[in-house]
Amino acid sequence: MPEIVLDSLQKNFGSCSAADGLSLKVKDGEYLCILGPTGSGKTTCLRMICGLTKPDGGRVLFDGIDVTDVPVSERRATMLSQVYSLFPSKTVYGNVMFSPQIKEWDEETSKQLVKSMIKMVHMEGKANAYPRELSGGQQQRTALARALASDSDILLLDEPLRALDARLRLELRQELRSLVKEMGLTAIHVTHDQDEALEMADRIAVIRNGRIVQAGTPMEVFQDPKTPFVANFVGRSNIFTGKISSVCDDFTEVVLDNGTLIKARRTEIPEGTDVAVAVKIGSTRIPAIVSPTEEKPEPETPHGFFRGRVERILYEGATVTIEVDTKDAGLISSKLPNRRYDDYEIGDEVMVTWMPEKANIFAISPREIDEELRLD
Amino acid sequence: MSVFEWINRISDDERSRKAWFSLVCLVFAVLVIIPSVFVILKMFTEWGIVSEVFGDPVTMSVITSALWNSFSIACIVTVIDVAVGIPMAWIMVRKQFKGKKYLDTLMDMPLAFPTAVLGISVVMFWGAPEGITIPGLGLIVSPYIMLILLHTIFTYPYMVRSLSAILEQIEPNYETAAMTLSASRFTAVRTITLPLFRAGLVTGTILCFARSLSETGGTLIALQMMGVGSLFFTGPTFIAYMKTEYGTDAAMGSMILISVLMIVLALILLVVVKVLIMRFRIPVKKVWPKFGRFVSRGAMPKLKDTVSVMFLAVVVLLPTFYIFTYLTQPMADIDFGALLYSTGISFLIAGVAVVFNMVFGIPVALYIARKRHTKSGKILDSLVNVPLIIPTTALGFSLALFWGSIYAGDSMGLLMVILGHIAFTFPLVVRNVTGAVEEVDISYEEVAMTLGAKPFQAFSKVLMPIIKSSVIAGAILAFTRSLGETGATVAISDSVETVPVYIMGLISANRYSEAAFCSIVLIAICFAFMLAVRIAVNRGGSRA
Repeated sequence: MPEIVLDSLQKNFGSCSAADGLSLKVKDGEYLCILGPTGSGKTTCLRMICGLTKPDGGRVLFDGIDVTDVPVSERRATMLSQVYSLFPSKTVYGNVMFSPQIKEWDEETSKQLVKSMIKMVHMEGKANAYPRELSGGQQQRTALARALASDSDILLLDEPLRALDARLRLELRQELRSLVKEMGLTAIHVTHDQDEALEMADRIAVIRNGRIVQAGTPMEVFQDPKTPFVANFVGRSNIFTGKISSVCDDFTEVVLDNGTLIKARRTEIPEGTDVAVAVKIGSTRIPAIVSPTEEKPEPETPHGFFRGRVERILYEGATVTIEVDTKDAGLISSKLPNRRYDDYEIGDEVMVTWMPEKANIFAISPREIDEELRLD
Repeated sequence: MSVFEWINRISDDERSRKAWFSLVCLVFAVLVIIPSVFVILKMFTEWGIVSEVFGDPVTMSVITSALWNSFSIACIVTVIDVAVGIPMAWIMVRKQFKGKKYLDTLMDMPLAFPTAVLGISVVMFWGAPEGITIPGLGLIVSPYIMLILLHTIFTYPYMVRSLSAILEQIEPNYETAAMTLSASRFTAVRTITLPLFRAGLVTGTILCFARSLSETGGTLIALQMMGVGSLFFTGPTFIAYMKTEYGTDAAMGSMILISVLMIVLALILLVVVKVLIMRFRIPVKKVWPKFGRFVSRGAMPKLKDTVSVMFLAVVVLLPTFYIFTYLTQPMADIDFGALLYSTGISFLIAGVAVVFNMVFGIPVALYIARKRHTKSGKILDSLVNVPLIIPTTALGFSLALFWGSIYAGDSMGLLMVILGHIAFTFPLVVRNVTGAVEEVDISYEEVAMTLGAKPFQAFSKVLMPIIKSSVIAGAILAFTRSLGETGATVAISDSVETVPVYIMGLISANRYSEAAFCSIVLIAICFAFMLAVRIAVNRGGSRA
């Protein structure tokens, strides 16, 4: 069960750079998700690990051994592609038998192995079926069994759940993860779905423009994003730009271009620096309006950083998203539990606030922020 | 260590893969491309005797009229094929009816018949040649019209096949959408589907044009049966005539000239057709709703389908099979020894050519399919078409000159004929395999390699089973094409007697009955052989 190290990999396709000094360490037996938008170099990264794409520069190391020049067939790193690529001329059994046959293992042992793998993914009943006769989930499980039956100890999953129905996709997340863990494989799973990554990964590596921007546990990546991009890509954020006006022990005060004062978590960034403040929409609060009472006949809006009007209310099942139009900072979104649905109506005057420690702060000039947040 | 293990092992090394591919490219260049166009070089080195031809107005007028005949017939035939091919392709792809499978097989029949046999059959059907006792329609037509009728038959399947292949990929959704937006079917097809059709039209046009341009055997026989073999020429028959009548040395100048003219004109036409069809926009701006509705409703669509099927039956199939009427006649005295000997030679040539093209053509096809977007892929793709478009007689003549300049003497005749057949069947194999490989997602092979398969194993155990049927289709196409070829064989060697050459000899000697029976025997052998191949392959498939 090897540890994988990618050492400043470089790969260009024409003028387009798919890996630009990509470095990453995957621990032995770890389930790592590479999360990034389309075209960020996720798949190229996988292909360089298994050897299907040769890097222009840099090294790939398995357990400290440089495998950059080792041919694909000997790396023992198996790819599970998003279309599964089950060989159409072979049955489920034949597909799973592929590796043992190619490697000319002892026939009896192979048969046992293949049978146990098919059993493990619950495909016993379909062993003689051809791929075209299988449902998406069955194909996915067969492809997994085929990968597990090779003696590979690295599993590379390229958007393995993408082609499945939404419901099945959710169900298979844990099943896939536990199978991989059970076999003790080192797994690298590429996805653009942040929920999938957050739920499945031991660690997440966020990739962008051929570089790993941040690698860490789902919690670290979600709560302590290193860049505004990560803040916005892993769980949507409201982003504000301004200057630090004062740094206190508990929080930082940032003054926006129009003079509004907001608070963010404590930071080392010196006063006067151009910064961006990112608050996850789930941490953005809209305190309920206090209804008028005998003592206070006027309805009271609690304190907040911004005042605005409720523009849109989206009911999403377990949650509701409220969009507030503020004069100072445009549209701000807030995700709340669904029991709060009745608290608001379109057109209500509300205040927007958050706890300072929930607001991340990054040193970045306002000119760069749009480029930083671009998703492609 | 077995050969396969050795191939598996070295296929892992990128250098050995590159070395193998370089060898393939070298073979392709030296055995296929260079000999095919060598005659152009020869024209410059032998400029003296070629320029003599220019000074000879009699020969020049024969050459220009032969060229005119070849190219105008090819043009007319292609236009006919397009006109009747589009509705037929529609029927084959979009309609479901009883017996469609049989119609599908019947359609390919003219490809399976040696063209020499077709030549006999067609003239028998339409005309009433002297010396044949079986009554035909007895039409007295000019050789020009007769050749159009003949060439339509063996080009027709190419057109319908190319168009159907594309049509199958065009979803009927577009038409349905257009019709729900209240376009008539005619308007929907004309404005939506036809513009998507161009690629198929290019392939079909090139195949038909090239085939008609290069056909020798059937044309030669038809002209001889009509008694105008030394009066009416097409480009290929002129080369064959000069060679048999005057010998290569005496007629060198005019043979070089007409070969070069045919090659150059064919290549120019290839480019022009490609550009024209891709640039030319089917006018879709204007619609004629009334006219559209008129031809989309009531009896009109039925009429169109009926005419298409009638054309297939009367112009293509009946003349093709007319030779079987000889079975009602008393059996002629066949020289079985000579027939079987020439059949053996033909099978040997076709067999070697096909096997060679499998080994060296499939790698080229893989390269083209996988690297289509790269410059080298595109160049290779165009080069492969060259032997396809060059008239085979000119190709054979060129090839004979090339190898003759390296090794003089006719003792290598058979080998040279094989090389010639390799050259003109090469594109057939490559085209078929390329098309199939392009359909297969490369991820199959990639996943196989990450599962531990060596590159060669990924090819042989994963890709090959998927594309098997196309590879076999390509092999059979190449095999039958080689079996039926006359022009190249005659142009290369006087001594190698393949079956079509043998049958042509019988015709020249006015032994029609014998020629017909030989043809029937030959067709029977071919079908038995092809059936055996199919059965063997299917069995192999189910075992694996």
